[in-house]
Amino acid sequence: MRKYWQIAKGRMQENTAYSAWYWAGTVSAVMRLLIIYFFWQAVYANQTTIQNINLETMLTYIVIAMLLQGFVGGVGNELAENIKDGQVAIQLMRPYDMIFKLFAVDVGSKIMYLIQGTIPMVLIAYFFMDLSFPKSPETIILFALSALIGIWIGTFFDFLVGVLAFWTVNVWGVRVLKESLITFFSGALVPITLFPDWLRIITEFLPFQAMVYLPVSIYSGLITGTEAYMALGIQLFWLVSLYVLVRVIWTQAIKQITIFGG
Amino acid sequence: MRRYTRLYWEFAKSHMKVMMEYRIDFLIGVFSVMLEQFASIFFVKVVFDHIEQINGWSFYEILFIYGIAATGRSIHQIFFDNLWTLGWQYIRPGKLDRLLIRPVNPLFHVVADRLHQDGFGQLIIGLIILGTAIPQLDLVWGAAEIGMLVIMIISSGLIFVAINLFFATFSFWMIDSLPIVWAVFNMSDFARYPLTIYHKGIRMFLTWVVPYGFTAFYPAAYFIDKSGYKEFALWTPVAAIVCCVIAYAFWNRGLKAFASTGS
Amino acid sequence: MITVENLKKEYKLVKRDPGLKGAIKSLFNRKYETKHAVKGIDFSIEQGETVGYIGANGAGKSTTIKMLTGILTPTSGKVTVNGLVPYENRQKNAVNIGVVFGQRTQLFWDIPVRESYNLLKHIYEIPEHEYEETIGMFTEVLNLEPLLGIPVRQLSLGQKMRCELAAAFLHRPSVVYLDEPTIGLDIAVKVKIRKFIKEMNQRWGTTVLLTTHDMQDIEEICDRIIIIDGGTILYDGGLDEIKKQFGQKRVIHFELADKEKFVLPASLDGQVELLPNEEETKVSLSFDHETVKSSFVISEMMSMYEIGDLNIADPKIETIVEELYNKQEQGGKHEEILANS
Repeated sequence: MRKYWQIAKGRMQENTAYSAWYWAGTVSAVMRLLIIYFFWQAVYANQTTIQNINLETMLTYIVIAMLLQGFVGGVGNELAENIKDGQVAIQLMRPYDMIFKLFAVDVGSKIMYLIQGTIPMVLIAYFFMDLSFPKSPETIILFALSALIGIWIGTFFDFLVGVLAFWTVNVWGVRVLKESLITFFSGALVPITLFPDWLRIITEFLPFQAMVYLPVSIYSGLITGTEAYMALGIQLFWLVSLYVLVRVIWTQAIKQITIFGG
Repeated sequence: MRRYTRLYWEFAKSHMKVMMEYRIDFLIGVFSVMLEQFASIFFVKVVFDHIEQINGWSFYEILFIYGIAATGRSIHQIFFDNLWTLGWQYIRPGKLDRLLIRPVNPLFHVVADRLHQDGFGQLIIGLIILGTAIPQLDLVWGAAEIGMLVIMIISSGLIFVAINLFFATFSFWMIDSLPIVWAVFNMSDFARYPLTIYHKGIRMFLTWVVPYGFTAFYPAAYFIDKSGYKEFALWTPVAAIVCCVIAYAFWNRGLKAFASTGS
Repeated sequence: MITVENLKKEYKLVKRDPGLKGAIKSLFNRKYETKHAVKGIDFSIEQGETVGYIGANGAGKSTTIKMLTGILTPTSGKVTVNGLVPYENRQKNAVNIGVVFGQRTQLFWDIPVRESYNLLKHIYEIPEHEYEETIGMFTEVLNLEPLLGIPVRQLSLGQKMRCELAAAFLHRPSVVYLDEPTIGLDIAVKVKIRKFIKEMNQRWGTTVLLTTHDMQDIEEICDRIIIIDGGTILYDGGLDEIKKQFGQKRVIHFELADKEKFVLPASLDGQVELLPNEEETKVSLSFDHETVKSSFVISEMMSMYEIGDLNIADPKIETIVEELYNKQEQGGKHEEILANS
């Protein structure tokens, strides 16, 4: 366990430098906040609620969803690059479990992202947009738990997409595909309750809503009481299933390396 | 000019051959970009299921704005996508030297070095959006209108190109300006919606500083009378030309600076 | 053909203290450090000459080549190639030159070699019949046939370099700059490449300017060498002359039969220099053959030690150049070196 923590810490140090990418990311995030704010202001100009959601709750939902979406990515990109340049074979010889190593790296960058990226953004958002806070401490705890599980579901899924690099050349295209699926089906753009019925039903059977929609709905009060615990149950189901899938597919991929040499 | 047209054709032929060799990847690229665009349109559709209009704009009118932006951007993505890579593909590894020892314009060479398959997905989805939106708008379409639409779309594409070129040029001084190019490019998201929904400062910024407003909103406003921007929209092609001239002049300056420091 | 007059290139580097503090300080108070990469060099090269341009890493070779090709603008001085100033007429100049940068490819990465050549044909506007003829000849001499259908990124280093060379000569330029064309290659490929360059020079009278760290390249290709160090020219002249002028050094390698501690025989003390050697049983002695006879050294050695084997090394250009560098490093000005030797 300790060596994985060291790996995570190493990555945190690498990310501490305020690089050009950090500023670019911050500027982009602020712009997205602006677009979200003005867009929803305009949408609510002629009505006070949509599907019983008022502007304040809606903005809270969208902003929290946007911030949370920043965490549902993972190490898929790094893994895909490692596969492409043959690094995987070298990594496999090292004395650690490569999956855990990648996750440790991921945890490292996410902690830095939380400190450098998310916290300033949360302050800006709450200062300028008067978003609402959860009503009870129970909700806060449930949200924290749910968000954490959602992030790991996203990480596992991202890993699965990264592994595809063993079989496809156009890694970039696959990533765009994955991003679009998540953006849309996770409820990062709009609460899933607004979807037409047929689409909502499809969405309920996919893992994506467990990444963003469920935690954010708990936060903004769209899901309460026993429903919230049910949501956690669904998330746990996906968490376990995806992890099993990660292990199974990784075993297959390693066979591919050891037999065909990558 | 004729020489460059022929040369471009030769470059393009080579790229197409490669694309056809990796057909699956070509399809993944096209399909994923289409899905990406489709997702963001569907978002607008979901919102419009619950409301009538945004700031006086109906769903199909917003779709129309979107369609112009997507089609215009496809010109940029298919033909000029390589500008993104100026820093990390050319300047950092020293590959720009390779272009400087050839008897062709280096900018032409960078641009011709790549034909981006995924842009075709963007083009297809752009045309589909336009095809869906236009019949629903209360407009009379004659040859003049169609001609104007084509001009507007090309102008929109050129503005995308010029803005990217301008910010990519910073790479000559800082090796790789990709983060800046990326952050600026993200501003184009503002242009998906009617500029009238934004604060005045943002509107001014998107019109006069980084003119993404001319990539979608103003061109669309030309065709929609109630917008009140019909006349102003006529400046779109002029804006495109001015942007290109400024960006190219800046590029040449960057190139000169590069020649005296040598990376 | 190529004339270089008092050519200088200086870089301004921002001097910065380490750490964040240094970064912030440099924002307000920038200190520049001027690096003189090339300090006023002169030479001229005639059409058809083959010139080796050599020097240690960072001596100013690449900077010079960049200025000759027009990639870099000099700080002062003048360059003309075929009557053109390269950095002012870069594109015009480019028609007449071919360039190989050993570590970077000039070809198009993703497309097959044949397609790359086809694009170059259009870029340089080579007439069809001339192109066919050239490509046919190159395919034969460099044995390119099996490589033509493969994308460049899949070629091995040696294969890539053969294709690279063909690309540089494809438009029959009057000058070709080769920047370390044999770096990292195996001996068989090196031989092939040297032969090719030589042949092109003879057939078309192509002027060749070659930089390399492999002195064998120089010996086999070049008639003349220019040695640069610290941005100034140390030597410019024929290959044979430099051997005559500096080649009095001889080295003899002895292999001792017994594994014993070697001590230089007293009679040789002060006459020869013991060169460092990795193996215990091997001893290399270097001396000036004008003052010390090889036979004397050998007989003295044999009287003291049981010699298993010995080998007298030719005065190689390599050792000469090494000497020149060493002397330069030891602090003398280059004029003095030339005067003393």
